[in-house]
Amino acid sequence: MHRITVGAAALLFAALGWAQTGASATQFGGQVRLQWVGQQASGSGPLAQANALQSGMVELPVNTASLETELRASAHGLSSVVTLQQQRPESGATQNRAWVNELYASQGAGAWQFSAGKKIVAWDVGYGFRPNDMIQQEERRTLVSNTAEGRPLVMVEHFDASTAWSWVWVNPTASSDARAAAEPALALRVYQRDGAVDWHGFARLGAHSGASVGAAAAWVASEAVELHASLRYLQRVDSSAIDPAAGVLSLSNPWQAVTQSNVKQLLLGGTWTNESQLSLLAEAWWDGTAPSDAQWDAWSARNTQLGALAGLGVPAAAVAGNLAWQTQAFSASQSLRRSNVFLRLSCQHDAWQPALDMLYTPADQGRILTASLTWQGDRMQVQGGLRAYGGPANAVLMHVPVSATAYIAGTWTF
Amino acid sequence: MKPIQTLIVAAFALLAITAQAQDVAALLKATDKYRMSADNLQVETLINVVNADGTPDKERRYKVFAQAKRQSLVLMQSPAEAGQKVLMLGDDFWLLMPNSQRPLRITPMQKLLGDASTGDVATMSWAEDYAGKLVGEEPCDDSGAAAKQTCVHLSLSASRKGVTYQRIELWIGKTRHEPVRADLYVLSDKLAKQARFVMDKPAAPTMVTEMVLSDQVSNHKTTHVRYLSRKERQVPPEWLNPMFLVRNPPLE
Repeated sequence: MHRITVGAAALLFAALGWAQTGASATQFGGQVRLQWVGQQASGSGPLAQANALQSGMVELPVNTASLETELRASAHGLSSVVTLQQQRPESGATQNRAWVNELYASQGAGAWQFSAGKKIVAWDVGYGFRPNDMIQQEERRTLVSNTAEGRPLVMVEHFDASTAWSWVWVNPTASSDARAAAEPALALRVYQRDGAVDWHGFARLGAHSGASVGAAAAWVASEAVELHASLRYLQRVDSSAIDPAAGVLSLSNPWQAVTQSNVKQLLLGGTWTNESQLSLLAEAWWDGTAPSDAQWDAWSARNTQLGALAGLGVPAAAVAGNLAWQTQAFSASQSLRRSNVFLRLSCQHDAWQPALDMLYTPADQGRILTASLTWQGDRMQVQGGLRAYGGPANAVLMHVPVSATAYIAGTWTF
Repeated sequence: MKPIQTLIVAAFALLAITAQAQDVAALLKATDKYRMSADNLQVETLINVVNADGTPDKERRYKVFAQAKRQSLVLMQSPAEAGQKVLMLGDDFWLLMPNSQRPLRITPMQKLLGDASTGDVATMSWAEDYAGKLVGEEPCDDSGAAAKQTCVHLSLSASRKGVTYQRIELWIGKTRHEPVRADLYVLSDKLAKQARFVMDKPAAPTMVTEMVLSDQVSNHKTTHVRYLSRKERQVPPEWLNPMFLVRNPPLE
């Protein structure tokens, strides 16, 4: 199916390339990015423990070089974004992947706009956390910004000078049993501009997860300060959690799909910029979909218990396997901890943009520090940086598989 | 002085101030016509940035829809910025990035970023944003041919909060009121840039063909803002809605 989609996209590109000669409305462009990411595996945490017990059983983070080509084309109401990726892990074989980020048709009739196909739709106003992106949730705070992958949808929108309405039927052909990103749902967004404030209202009705509502605002409070906020209430959320009935040592993966009820998410943030082009972004958020403090305590205790079993003659492979399953906690939610603080300081000097940011989790004082430098030329962009995970030994961020990352990327736009 | 005489003098002074304010407003409107020849325009703009040592730095191309009621849409067309847009609706601004679905609400200070800020590119008039006073008649410049010509010196203060420059010292031609040069001050009253205006026909100017901006704060670069073409065009109202623009619709 994936190959068919990519093939269809390639045909579309061929058609658009041919059409370029005859239609002035045709647009074709893209970018090529060469990137190297070096990762230092963490010496603590369940993955490190598993590897220490049974070397080679789990995949540790490795350095990776990749070449990514993004192709964009639009003509006659059709738009497409396709990504081709060649990735070569250190001491591994080259892996080729291709995917369609977007492929949709759109048509306008005055103030009405209609779209159908695979499309990226993001609605929220925050930077580090965006609970009201109700169509798809993209990864935030990535080292290098990547184009998200859209969702199949049918969308009707209406615009006037200061108001916008969007009605979306996402995953319209999916089964009603489908979960998470594949879940069929109806979503609504209404936007109202009111002078210095942008107001947004959101609603979503999922086949399985039920109703959720949200609101967001962005306000330019002064010459130098912008403030924004997001709030979302979810009736139900699909997630994963460890089976409470599972023993310390389990024969099968004890992580199972669960549904949380009455979940709240909140973000408050702002930016400040001065005349010298120095900019500070500050955000704090509460993510009710993340595991609770009690769940992390239980997770940590299970890690300790599993580690102790290894010294009691229990087969190392069994313990290592259970420890590896423990890493599923890191992907249970967008945020690791429920409360988070994010700060980013950046400045612009000619073509150079240095930046320093920190994600801090007050519950356990964990932190992720990132320093980066970007140079922007006419068609070339070069960026590089370092990211390090820190905090007390019991902080969740000290137990993730990677303890530090270095990266460099060169992007050529055409 | 008797009370009645005091009142008469005060009334005359008030009338004089009001008349001068009206004069300045009329002069600014006349000056604006050299850049904004109609209420709604489509302007193709080419920007060349030159380093302090005279070497070329970069070139940028913009399409600007300058509309009535202080509304502008700037489409960035150079490869480095392709797909980026800046929307300015009165005192409110949004930056739209091609790979993002979120229109970024930007502050007036963020609007200043860049050698030629989007405010420089998108702002084509002063009359609606500034009030001021007549300083007097002065040589147009300290040196060169312009030194022999006489200009009218206007001192302008922002009458709205979202403008790019808080204070402008403006020199305009005495006879035709074409813009000649300007000193541009930011909120802290620091001189940020100096502008010179190049006219199509120096002897009988009808329009500004180029604005030359000299950075006075950071890099001392010179930015040439060339107006390649102007044509009357009123865009549909939805084009001035940030949520419409974020869809990356064709805007031709």
